[in-house]
Amino acid sequence: MISEQGRILERLLSGDFICEISDEDGWRYLKQSANFEAVDQYLSTLNRSLSSAADGQVYFAAYRTLGEGERKVLSSQFQEIAAGLLPLVEWLLLVQQSSGSDVPVTQGSTIRSNELQTTIEDTPAYKEQLAKIARYRLFNSNSTEVVGQLNLVFKRLTELGYLLRPNPDKQIYIATGKIDYLYEVLRFIDETEALSLAEQAESAIAQGSLL
Amino acid sequence: MNQNLHQAGVKLLNALSRNADLIMQVYLSGTLHEGDASPGALDNLKKLGILWRPEAGGPLRLKKAVRTLLESSLQDERNRQIDTNIGSTLASLKTLAQHYKEALAHHRYAEAQAHMNDLSEHVYALTESLGNSVRALFSRINNEFGYVASIDAKIRENELAQNQVSELLSQLEMFRFDELSDVAGSIRELRHLLVVALQQSFARCTQELSIAQSRLLELLGRFREFRGKTRLLKGFLLHMEQQPDFAPANYANHSQVPTLFNLAKPLLQPAAVDVNRVDHEQDLLLLVGRIKALHRADKPIDEQRAAQSIEVENQGQVELDDKAIHQAVEAYFCEVIDTGQRLTALQYLTKQGLDFDPEVWIYQVIGGYQGLAEEDRKFFALEPEVENHPIFTGNNIVRDIELGLR
Repeated sequence: MISEQGRILERLLSGDFICEISDEDGWRYLKQSANFEAVDQYLSTLNRSLSSAADGQVYFAAYRTLGEGERKVLSSQFQEIAAGLLPLVEWLLLVQQSSGSDVPVTQGSTIRSNELQTTIEDTPAYKEQLAKIARYRLFNSNSTEVVGQLNLVFKRLTELGYLLRPNPDKQIYIATGKIDYLYEVLRFIDETEALSLAEQAESAIAQGSLL
Repeated sequence: MNQNLHQAGVKLLNALSRNADLIMQVYLSGTLHEGDASPGALDNLKKLGILWRPEAGGPLRLKKAVRTLLESSLQDERNRQIDTNIGSTLASLKTLAQHYKEALAHHRYAEAQAHMNDLSEHVYALTESLGNSVRALFSRINNEFGYVASIDAKIRENELAQNQVSELLSQLEMFRFDELSDVAGSIRELRHLLVVALQQSFARCTQELSIAQSRLLELLGRFREFRGKTRLLKGFLLHMEQQPDFAPANYANHSQVPTLFNLAKPLLQPAAVDVNRVDHEQDLLLLVGRIKALHRADKPIDEQRAAQSIEVENQGQVELDDKAIHQAVEAYFCEVIDTGQRLTALQYLTKQGLDFDPEVWIYQVIGGYQGLAEEDRKFFALEPEVENHPIFTGNNIVRDIELGLR
């Protein structure tokens, strides 16, 4: 019988993000500082450390010391993240706009893909947007139908760990903590590059050139 | 006079019920399209003070009192007004209490009773309005200001609600229970109304309000976070539109890699099977059992099992003369009875020179034997002559049957 700690270690070492949605037991376990220390200690033998982001909403394994090889890995990983940002951001905005509630997708948000499909099919602007999103390399769809594009996008996002499909028979997806990690990444880039994104958006809204 | 009042009230309520559709329509849409209703009914409703025209030339609206009645009875969440005018109500309560005490002091009991009724009405109205205000706040919190769509509107609504809460709280501070208890003096009824009833509602109200306030703050925080996230997304999109070649510096090359981008590579691969572990044996056996082994090539070619071409042709019509064969079977049974000798079916067939197919004949004999009544069958013994199939074991071939008497 594998212990809770062993299970969590296995997930962490497989490169999974642990959040309240993807693994509630594991997340609660890691929230206790004693358990956090223990897991961190264990990971140190493998040159890993336990790291958290988005105010402790997600836990993941990070490198403890960075050598040449580790830097190479991180560098290529960062390229991947940066390349995926724009499609993901457009996707998040599409979901937010088409849901009509003006609430951004965050950890725990539920997305019903068939409802989304109906809205998108009824609105030519959303249709175009979806087609654009699906053509990005991240999703790489060559379908011309809304259904095909949507299915592929959902499938990819589930594979990447952004969404979770609790019941394979239902078209309901739940956003995981990795979405919040994405916001964190955006915020970080915003601050480091001094882009002042929020101000740009605000002034654009004020000028009426609403996105 | 009392009778008149009663009649007028009944008339008013009747008018309400007669025009229920119209009133609900005005309640829901806010104003009345005068074309929809008959002028007589409208005049009547105006006269009764149910509808009124706030400005000359403007549309008719429902009187506030009727609207409040509907809102509180229907628990309508659109009821967003909160009555915070507690100060004046408290003042009128004190005045009424003074009237009551004066009347009592002069032994005018009927008058005192009237004041008392008035006072209870006011006190209960006050407690009810406090309760309603808190309920209205909570219903707004519970659906997270669902009646407005955008986050900005929600934030504005939230701020309005917070103002109302602080207003209510500052009004509640006007309750001076020491003063009220001085006013009530030692009169039991007054004490009950002014001190006990009001205090209970006051305590409940302040407690709920403080909860409401903290929830409102929490919600405001969440809305602001939502707004921040939305702006972040939109801003990023805008930025990418303006500078399509924007790419963030590769932070992984910095001397201090931010923790956010320090993601370790997946390390674990599935473990291998250990066949020497006894406690895994069961699971492994199950796995092995699921493996479909196909070893066709190893077997020598078996002529009998090899696929053979099947010729499909029309089946020759086989007609059995039921009657003839039945009679023959009966004759066979009679022969056995007559002679008392054991006789096989095929022997009889050749002896009599009957031209039935031997297989059909044997079947018919078996059928005839089975078809006998239970007590008749007891007299006969039927014994098949069985031969094993030369190739396929377990298959027996009935070559002949022997019938005899027991």
